[in-house]
Amino acid sequence: MTSFQFDVGSRARKAGRFIGRVRSELLKALSEKKAKDGLTQQALATKLGVHRSLVNRQLSGESNLTLRSLADLAWAMDMELKFELSERPDTFGQNEGTTTSTISHGQIRFINGRSGTGSNGQSAHAPNEPEPRAEQ
Amino acid sequence: MSTIDGLIRDGAISKIEIELAVGEQPLRLFYGTPGFIDWLNTLLQGAEPKHRLGDTTPAEQVDQLIYAFVSGKPLNYLRQFRFIRAEENAVWELKTPDVRIFGWFLKIDCFVGVFGDWADHVKDHDLYRGYRIAIRRLRRELGVEDNLCVKGTSPSDVISV
Repeated sequence: MTSFQFDVGSRARKAGRFIGRVRSELLKALSEKKAKDGLTQQALATKLGVHRSLVNRQLSGESNLTLRSLADLAWAMDMELKFELSERPDTFGQNEGTTTSTISHGQIRFINGRSGTGSNGQSAHAPNEPEPRAEQ
Repeated sequence: MSTIDGLIRDGAISKIEIELAVGEQPLRLFYGTPGFIDWLNTLLQGAEPKHRLGDTTPAEQVDQLIYAFVSGKPLNYLRQFRFIRAEENAVWELKTPDVRIFGWFLKIDCFVGVFGDWADHVKDHDLYRGYRIAIRRLRRELGVEDNLCVKGTSPSDVISV
């Protein structure tokens, strides 16, 4: 066997990677706050009125992170939370459309918002939809 | 001299692939021995520790870990990876709340998993030494200690991003 596909399924993948990303963001934010303001896990726990081990477990993934606890952690770090849902940008098997060009003109702007081509090499635009064009 | 292609050709290791998001490219490489891949299959079949700590399943945790590794995301030293013992040709451990993966870095950004186990089982039975010795023996048998084994133990020796 030259390669092995570790595939947990799209639903599990979405959940695991989303929760992992949230924790990574929290760790990154705390690390930045520690470097900038000296904020420690202990100080965070004291501000929240909980034991430091709970904060540690929440950050390590050993304790459930509820929306409430997420908001509390953001509050204790004096940071804003952003959350949004959006349509998936494109289909799998294609790279993101370029926004710059290797030739010497200004940045390419896509007209009508969509970019790239389908995986079969055909345009991703509806037949009656104008093709994106480069503006100089 | 052993090469990664040679190890794959001989069936000693296989490349482990996971689905990346649109626009992402693999920036690091993750390999596994046949035994490690057997263990990954048990996760895909729903294996669980006696007392799960994480709020995601072990399979989801490992998918997230491999995804973060392969897609080049920053990994948190000590929380997500660490060496077992400060020595030349160190053995490294990748971590999730419920899972421990033991292996070594063939090159920078190029990990091979050899053993996977439950975190509580590893800690309760202090299996770090046993896994470390078994991996060193395997590397000697494969003849990779000289040219396919990262020497340093600094995080930046094994992960570049």
